[in-house]
Amino acid sequence: MKATKLYIAMALVALAGLADAIYLTVQHVTGQSVRCTVISGCSEVLSSPYSSFNGIPLALIGAAAYFAVFSLATLAAFGYPLVGKLLPILVGLMFLTTLWLIYLQAIVIGHFCQFCLLSAAVTTILTGLVLFVSRSRKAA
Amino acid sequence: MKRILPLVIILAVLGIALGAGWYLTRPATPPTPPTPAPTVANATVKPNVPAPTPVNVAQAGAEPPHSIGPADAPVTLEEFGDFQCPPCGLLYPVLKDMEKEFGSRLRVIFREYPLVPTHPHALSAARSAEAAGMQGKFWEMHDMLFTNQRTWHASFDARPIFDDYAVKIGLDLEKFKRDLNGSVVEQRIFLDGKRAHALGVSGTPTVFMNGREIPFESLPPEKLRPIIQAEIDARR
Repeated sequence: MKATKLYIAMALVALAGLADAIYLTVQHVTGQSVRCTVISGCSEVLSSPYSSFNGIPLALIGAAAYFAVFSLATLAAFGYPLVGKLLPILVGLMFLTTLWLIYLQAIVIGHFCQFCLLSAAVTTILTGLVLFVSRSRKAA
Repeated sequence: MKRILPLVIILAVLGIALGAGWYLTRPATPPTPPTPAPTVANATVKPNVPAPTPVNVAQAGAEPPHSIGPADAPVTLEEFGDFQCPPCGLLYPVLKDMEKEFGSRLRVIFREYPLVPTHPHALSAARSAEAAGMQGKFWEMHDMLFTNQRTWHASFDARPIFDDYAVKIGLDLEKFKRDLNGSVVEQRIFLDGKRAHALGVSGTPTVFMNGREIPFESLPPEKLRPIIQAEIDARR
């Protein structure tokens, strides 16, 4: 697959992550608790002390990260130079953070939140796409 | 043009994201029973304490408010809460500890702000607490609801569970059931909601200290304790 198409796919996937993160940020900021519709545990996870970092909602940091991925992927799809090199670094950091958050949910909090798992899935897909881009570049 | 297009797309997405965030964080609408009525003077915010939002007598909230602690305590904490909201459940033991620690120097008020439809049992729980209040046992039901929040939170029908709580705290069950859907209970919830709107409350728990909102992030005990102490010291 051409790198351009992969970048467009990344931008679209990042939009899904952005929507999820905005929803969680809004719930955090308004102090409302999130109701899980598929699994239970959203409230336990999202009202835990790990839901914010130095007073900043983790979801807001996530929203900023997804927006950054969307922006970089869009610019890369339009042929902007260098931005494509930043993507693997950013997505790699996001993937490591995702692993840490899944550990917190599974081991420390003992509950899973479906919206957090969705975010984890989005980041994992982004990681896969970044790897595909690297492979397609090497092949080219 | 091709160089500008991605920037336009990025700015458009940023605008939509910020717009959605702004739209969704506007103050929420609690349930509003049909017959509003103005009430008497505001018993919560002291007249010489500046409040962040002007509140006239029509937004005084239900009178008398459900409160613990002396009316002339130097610090009044006014909580707008939802019995089904987990963060409110987490705040419950914190406020209990504060009541014990500060004793007569602290007054705590609870106001109803059931988030419907986010929490399907919230209104029923608020009605139960208010109906218990009509038999002088608001705080007993308040404690029962928060202590057992995880028991009824995910239940399909919480109504029978609340009836059990009513029996456990020694209420007249028949009167409790009659009062649940009565106009007094309805009016109290409505008036608390009206006060919440006047103060700009948008979620739960929201806590005001002597009329000033305490940020959500400052509600853990290690942060709340020094804030209360500082207010007490300032009023000596």
